[in-house]
Order: sequence, then C-alpha cells, then structure tokens
Amino acid sequence: MSPPQRERRKQEPEGSNPERLYVLTGGTGGAERAPIDLVTLIVARSGPPPPTAQPEQAAVLRLCRRPLSVAELSAYLALPFSVVTILLTDLLSAELIESRAPITRATLPDRSLLEAVMHGLQKL
Amino acid sequence: MVSVQSPPGGRETSFARVLLLPAVLMAAATGAAAALVAEPARIPVAVTGAAATLVVIAVAAEAVRRGRAAAALRLQHAREIAQLEQRLAAHDDDILHLAQELMPACVRRLQVHNQSPSEVMRAMIDGSEVYRGLPHPQRVLLRNVLRIVDREEAMRDSAQRAFVNVARRVQTIVHKQSADLRDMEEDHGRTPEVFDDLLRIDHGTALIGRLADSIAVLGGARPSRKWPKPVPLFSVLRGAMSRIMDFPRIDLHSVAKVNVDGISVEPLIHACAELFDNATRYSPPHTRVHVTAHEVQTGVAIEIEDAGISLNDVVRERVERKLEEAKAGIDVDDLGETPRLGLAVVGRLSRMYDMQIALRQSAYGGVRAVLIVPRDMLTDEPAPAVAHGIGAAAVQRVDDDGNLIADERPYRKRRPTSGPPLHSSRSMSPPPEDDVPVVTEWTPEGLPQRRSRVRGGFPHTVPAPAPAADDWRQAAPTPQKKKEEPQPGIWLEAFTKAANGVDVDSGTAAGDNGQPSHGHQDNEGDRT
Repeated sequence: MSPPQRERRKQEPEGSNPERLYVLTGGTGGAERAPIDLVTLIVARSGPPPPTAQPEQAAVLRLCRRPLSVAELSAYLALPFSVVTILLTDLLSAELIESRAPITRATLPDRSLLEAVMHGLQKL
Repeated sequence: MVSVQSPPGGRETSFARVLLLPAVLMAAATGAAAALVAEPARIPVAVTGAAATLVVIAVAAEAVRRGRAAAALRLQHAREIAQLEQRLAAHDDDILHLAQELMPACVRRLQVHNQSPSEVMRAMIDGSEVYRGLPHPQRVLLRNVLRIVDREEAMRDSAQRAFVNVARRVQTIVHKQSADLRDMEEDHGRTPEVFDDLLRIDHGTALIGRLADSIAVLGGARPSRKWPKPVPLFSVLRGAMSRIMDFPRIDLHSVAKVNVDGISVEPLIHACAELFDNATRYSPPHTRVHVTAHEVQTGVAIEIEDAGISLNDVVRERVERKLEEAKAGIDVDDLGETPRLGLAVVGRLSRMYDMQIALRQSAYGGVRAVLIVPRDMLTDEPAPAVAHGIGAAAVQRVDDDGNLIADERPYRKRRPTSGPPLHSSRSMSPPPEDDVPVVTEWTPEGLPQRRSRVRGGFPHTVPAPAPAADDWRQAAPTPQKKKEEPQPGIWLEAFTKAANGVDVDSGTAAGDNGQPSHGHQDNEGDRT
C-alpha cells in the first residue's frame, strides 16, 4: 500500500462534473451529523443496496463490504469529509450501515513484540 | 348635320325635333302673314318672313351644334374621370401590394440575410423583372423604410450584444467563484460549520449563474460553457438540480444510463434547470417533483412531473404559445415587465438544439413536462470516471475481491486549514497514540523494555481519553511544555514526514528543539 499523501487530491479538471456538493447533502441548511470521525470504521449491513439509494450511498455500501474508515471512504469517493458524514448519517439512520470504533493498536499487540517477549521469557 | 361619333338614339332625334318645331312654326307664321297682308306688302313680308325663318333655323342649328359639343365634352369628361378613378384604384392596389408583399419581403431580407438597405434594393427591385419599373415615389418610400428598419435592427443588436456581454462577464465571475468555492469546500471539508456555510454560498452562486445564463440565451447567444468530456445524464440532471432554489424537492428516479456529449451538456443542464425551477415554483412547497429519463426512439425523454396546479386547456394553450413564440425567436423586449424567463429560455434552447418540449397533465394532478433530447446530443463515448455523482466510478477502484485498485488521480497541495480541529471528544476511539507502546530498549536478557513517553514514566496502556481532547489544546501554544511532553499528534507528524521522505530522526529532533516545527505540529494536531 502506498504511503498516505499529504497533498490534497486534485479535483477532476475544472468542469468535468456539473454537480455541486450541496446536491449530495440534500440541502444547505446545517444538516445533522452522526458522531463520526475520520477513523470511525464503517461496515455495511448485509444485503444489496436498495434501488432508491443515491449512487453515492450505493457506492458506500459496496465499498464497505469490509470495514473501511471514514477517511478512506472520503478518499475513494473523492468527497470532502463533511459530505461523507452526511451520507453516512443518512445511511446510519436507514440502518444500512454500522459504525464501529477503530480497533486500537493496544488491544492488538504487535506480533513481533509478543514473540520477543516469548523468546525473552524462554531464555530466563 | 350628322355627327359621326354621336351615339345613335334619342339624343339625335330630340335635336332634330327641337330644330324642326321653330322652323315649321316660323314658316307657318310667315305663310299666314303673307296671305293676310295686303297685296303690295305681301312680298316684303314674305321676304322678311323667309329671312326670319332662316335666322331661326340658323340659331336653332347653332344651338343644336353647341348642345352636341357640350354632350361630347361631357362624355369625354366622364371618360376621363373613369380613367382617373381606375388609375387611383390601381395606385391603391400598388401601394397595398407594396405594403403587404414587397416591403415585408424586403424587410425580411434585410433582417434574415443581414443585408444593407441598398443591397436589398438592388436585389429585390432592380434585379427582378416585376419590380424593375417601380415608380420613383414607391422606391423612395421603400428605401426610407428599409433604412429605418436597418437602424432599429442595429440598435437592437447592439443592445442585445451589450447585455449578452454583461451576462458573459457575470458568468465568468460565477465560474471562477464556483471553482474557488469548490476548492474551499475541499479545504474546509473537515470543519462542518464552515463547510455548510460554503455550501450555502455555493448554492447562491449557482443561482446567479443560471440567471446570467438565461440572460445570455435570451440575448441570442448560445451557452458559453463547454464541458470537455461527455457527462452522464444523471450528473447532468443533478447539475440542473444544483442550479435551482428548491432542489431538495426534486427526486431523480430511474435515469437512463446514457452520456451526454460535452458540447450539449450546458444547454441541457440549463433547459432542465429552468423546467425544474418551473415545476418547483408552481407546485406546493411540500410536494415532490419527480424526474425520470427513458430512452426513446429519437433520443431520451426527460419527464418532469409536479403536483401543482394542473394546466387547464386555456393555460396550456397560452404556455404552449409562449413556447412557440420563444422558438420563433421572440425579442427580449417582448418579455414584458415582469418576465417569466423560464419558458422563453427553454423555448429558445429547444429551438437552438432541436429539443422538443411538451406540457401535459400529470398523473399527480400537476404538470408533466416532457423534454425530448435528440440523439445527436448524446454520445456513445464513455464519460470519465467522475468523482461523485455516479458512484460506480468510486466502486471501480475496488475489484471483485475487495482489493483496492490504485488509481492515477493527480494530487495537489492542500492548503492548511486554520479552523478549529475536528476533534471529537465524544469519539468512540481513544487517541491511539497513547496506547502505542514504544519499544526502544532491550534488556540484556533479550526482553523488550517499554519506555513510556509520559514524564512520570509510568507505563499505562489504557489512558483516560478525556485529557487528549482538551488538555493539549491549551498546551499547544506553550513550547516550554512541549519540550518535555510530546504532543499527542507527534506520531502522525513522524508518519507523514516519513511518507514525504524526511528522515524521521531529524524531523523529531527538530520537533524537540521546539520552535521550528511548532506551527507544523499544530497543523498536524488539526488533523487528528
């Protein structure tokens, strides 16, 4: 996997898409957002996306067959985080996806570390 | 005294009768007088009588001749009057012909073929068999009228050009601003408050843009914007949605998966936007507007149904007449004082691009507008994988096994945001950096030794999540504290530095020295 880039994704060259982001968020009034942050993992509940879903929502459901962080979703969809959270909020309220707290590294210790401990203990 | 030209009939005999009676009377009187008078006077009386009779006859003859002459004159006069009347009528006919046929033809030629008055005169009058002998006054009249029309045309042209020009300038500014706003939306995508405000501004800008587009179209110009690549119809319809006030009420249902040719995208967006606008504007605010698009024989039929007031026949007739007028190329000054630009714009656009528009009663009780997009506005070329809109594009980056496919999206430098960090204290995840055990040393026995970064040196695996959210924010501006206690965001800095090819150690060293990387660290903090 390539290292994450700090540079911002370039939008498609100016004028290859006439859509504006507010159409996706379904309104310009301050929409409610579920408590989601960049590292929240999103996983789709089983089942194909309903036919009424917007393409973006369908894409989220397809991308999230395996848990995927919001940051990654945002990158793959090439949509700003705020838009993705609104999409996800809709999906969450429709109970099509689940959000999970990320598995912290503390709970999954490094395998090499465990091995080193094991070997060290054996040597004692 | 027989007149050759005098018509036969009563007149002739009446003259003869008039002539005869006094002569006979005179002759009788003379005969009677001669018989009655004495012998010696008889001869002079007879002579005198005869002379008088002759004089009477002569006078009568003269009177008859004069009468005849007068009659002839009267006849001639009447004939002349008739002739003159005939000429007058012919003249009227000529003028009528000039007004009803020749002049409109000349004016049309002037307007359509854009010729100068003298060119039109040469072509229409001197060049034609029929009109070559047009009398001078009519020529003068025609030439003057043409000159006036020409001047008016020029004035209207320049007025139209002026406001097309203004509209173009507004469009330029709007496009620039839209692009800028899109950049800002990317930059502030992580700060929802700013982001929502940006979306509002973006929406307003799009509305201004549509108005400018409408003015340009009504001014006779084609939409200026060219889309370099084909665009899926779905995106086109969403683009149209994004240009109206009440877009959340529009529901896009099954939309045919076709792509619209780049140069036809803008007019289609504009026409759809105007129809959407009509549909949302003239239906109750709580109702939805349903949009579907199906492929038909001649292209794609976009149906827009609202649940507003249904069109009765009178209104529909008026609306369709308006559309027809617009198709015929109405003048801008025909729009009236409170212009309902929508239909005029749609009419114009559909004429320019051969789209067809029909308004019918909707099943929902309102209006169903059907816009037939001709096949030559569509294309078989695939649309580029646009970022959003067609979500399939996003999915294509994942193959069947769920592995990610690398894509060659160009990257560009992100401008740092200075807004408050999007840091959720309610986050379900404790900041992971505190949990990362840092193995730096090994005991002589070969056991790894964990060194906590916390000054107390107490290794804790599960720190309280709360301090991370608030404490560091206060701590951040004091470099003093920083030296002793690395910021929670430092791991990410090291991470990104490594990613950018900066040596991690030197980077961390710089950070430890305090000041130089402080601002940078702040930024990194924003990102956690």
